[in-house]
Amino acid sequence: MSNAREAILGALRQGLRGTAVPPLPPLRERTLPSEQHLATFTSMLTRVGGTVDVVADLAAARARLATLLAEADAQTVACSDAPELRDLLPAAVRTLPHDAPRDALLAADCGLTSAQFGIAETGTLVLCSGDERHRLASLLPARHVCLLPRSRLCGTLAEVLAAVHRDGPPRSRTITFVTGPSRTADIELTLVVGVHGPKFLHVLLLDDAR
Amino acid sequence: MVQGVEPMRPETLAQNVRDALRDPVLTGALRRATDTFAQRRQGAVGSIPDWEELRTQAAAIKAHTLARLDHFLEQFVQRAEAAGTVVHWARDAAEACAIVQQLAERCGATRLVKSKSMATEEIHLNAALATSGREPVETDLGEWIIQLAGETPSHIIVPAIHKTKEAIGQLFVDKLGVPASSEPAVLAEHARQRLRAHFAAADLGISGVNFGVAETGSILVLENEGNARMTTTLPRVHVAVMGIEKVIPRARDLDVFLRLLPRSGTGQHLTTYQSLLTGPDPAGQGPRELHVVLLDNGRSRIAADERMRSTLACIRCGACLNACPVYQSIGGHAYGSVYPGPIGAILTPQLQGLPAAGKLPFASSLCGACKDVCPVKIDIPSLLLELRARAVASGNAGSGGRLEKLVWRLWSWCERSPRRHRVAMALARFGARMPFAAKLLPPLRAWASSREVPKPNGKSFRATYRGDGDAR
Repeated sequence: MSNAREAILGALRQGLRGTAVPPLPPLRERTLPSEQHLATFTSMLTRVGGTVDVVADLAAARARLATLLAEADAQTVACSDAPELRDLLPAAVRTLPHDAPRDALLAADCGLTSAQFGIAETGTLVLCSGDERHRLASLLPARHVCLLPRSRLCGTLAEVLAAVHRDGPPRSRTITFVTGPSRTADIELTLVVGVHGPKFLHVLLLDDAR
Repeated sequence: MVQGVEPMRPETLAQNVRDALRDPVLTGALRRATDTFAQRRQGAVGSIPDWEELRTQAAAIKAHTLARLDHFLEQFVQRAEAAGTVVHWARDAAEACAIVQQLAERCGATRLVKSKSMATEEIHLNAALATSGREPVETDLGEWIIQLAGETPSHIIVPAIHKTKEAIGQLFVDKLGVPASSEPAVLAEHARQRLRAHFAAADLGISGVNFGVAETGSILVLENEGNARMTTTLPRVHVAVMGIEKVIPRARDLDVFLRLLPRSGTGQHLTTYQSLLTGPDPAGQGPRELHVVLLDNGRSRIAADERMRSTLACIRCGACLNACPVYQSIGGHAYGSVYPGPIGAILTPQLQGLPAAGKLPFASSLCGACKDVCPVKIDIPSLLLELRARAVASGNAGSGGRLEKLVWRLWSWCERSPRRHRVAMALARFGARMPFAAKLLPPLRAWASSREVPKPNGKSFRATYRGDGDAR
């Protein structure tokens, strides 16, 4: 419908001709002191129903993950293709690859991914689809466990937006911001956690700071 | 299943309002909902020290963008197409529906899922697709409930706000054959299970767009439930319907709008999920095709109207609904349009025209609460007054027009002579002392039926001034 395109743009051009254009305000920087990142991230994510465990190294992450899965009685885990996750899962669970059939992923007890950024001010995980195949593993299973290296934790959304657009176009075709487990208040404004997305969100914060 | 809302007939507004005010369940639910949201908003806004600066910044970004909308739209389209998005243009609702319909036919889609979107409500997309047996399944919990019930949304953010949990429980018993429950968590779990089957099978996903980024050609979709992620991830093809006013210049402007929108709407610091999508993303486990339908449907006309242009700055947060004493009492259905509340009262008459919706700008007390809470500082009361003036000038203000003109002419005749003024004032004081007078006179009866008739002072100002009074 190229004539629709011309009609709409033509109407706008004609209608806006000679109109005064107020200036576009400059972008504003917003930062959060780095010593506050960890505490703020933890408190913000906890507020919306997520959990955060700081783990000293991959061995500690593996132990904590095993406990989480055992407590949830999770039998099947969908795992993204992030290399650091490869040796994290206990041998007892059934592992589904990131490209497993959707029915299997929908029925999985848990999804395991990493995240490319964390945002402290809101307790948010940032998933970039070009870096990792985690779109399905972070969404379809009932529970999402995410390994977030502390070095990827930023202060603010403004910083992350700047970082993912450093080269102009976005870093990935899909960038998903996740702040807590899925929720709804559509029935009489009563909060229900876990409607379409994961019902639980656990972050394993890997303390890789030197 | 869902019927499109009819363009409002001028005479229906008063009847709608009477019906709404007589419904105790509705008025109770509305009061609870709007109070809760207003409180949550207050708390969330209080957590940001630079709230007013943010509003000013957002209003300035929108004012700049709308004044150069042609430029930013072209930039958006160029970058989106470069990323592999297929962009379609629709002058009106019929064209937009036809585009989605043809797209569904071309890719052989029979199972459609949809996440919540005001633009698709505006064009009555579901009804259009239903004519070829392709009605999408609504996947937002509130929208799904409304669809099952065959009703229409009553609130921008909480579409089923007018339904009690008991009514929803009974609806699920009737339509899904599940055991009776009025527990929201149980009802949400039923929705989760039912809709997962739809997500798994869907071949076309339909969503709206909260923001389109001109410099990258990206679209951003906000939500809490995860249904929009499902809808924009699982089907082979994703089509997003976007009003042309949704474009913003820079990706980093999202920081401003994402700090304002969730806080204003639900009182959250951030909604649970934001999906920033730039072109199709099969390598990243996403759809093979991404289509964006750019919808005009009256917007280019509003953009050209300098006095009314800021109407298009709206980011659909719903704060003005929750703050509005009229909306709090009558709810969304009474407005008879897809966009209710103060924003609806200025947007609908401009989208549908004054003959169809010229009475809506009068459904306001002009108290200004909407203006105070608007995150993009739309001066809704001024826009309401402008539309009222236009409605009166074009004879679309409703039945009061001729009588009102006569009364004002009489008033002006009285005021042109001191003696006539004195006589008129004396008559008015006498008349107003008869408490039954206002209830009996037909033109005053409607006004007095829900208001207290003010009692005049015993003595006029002029009499006091002349010294009959003993103030000193």
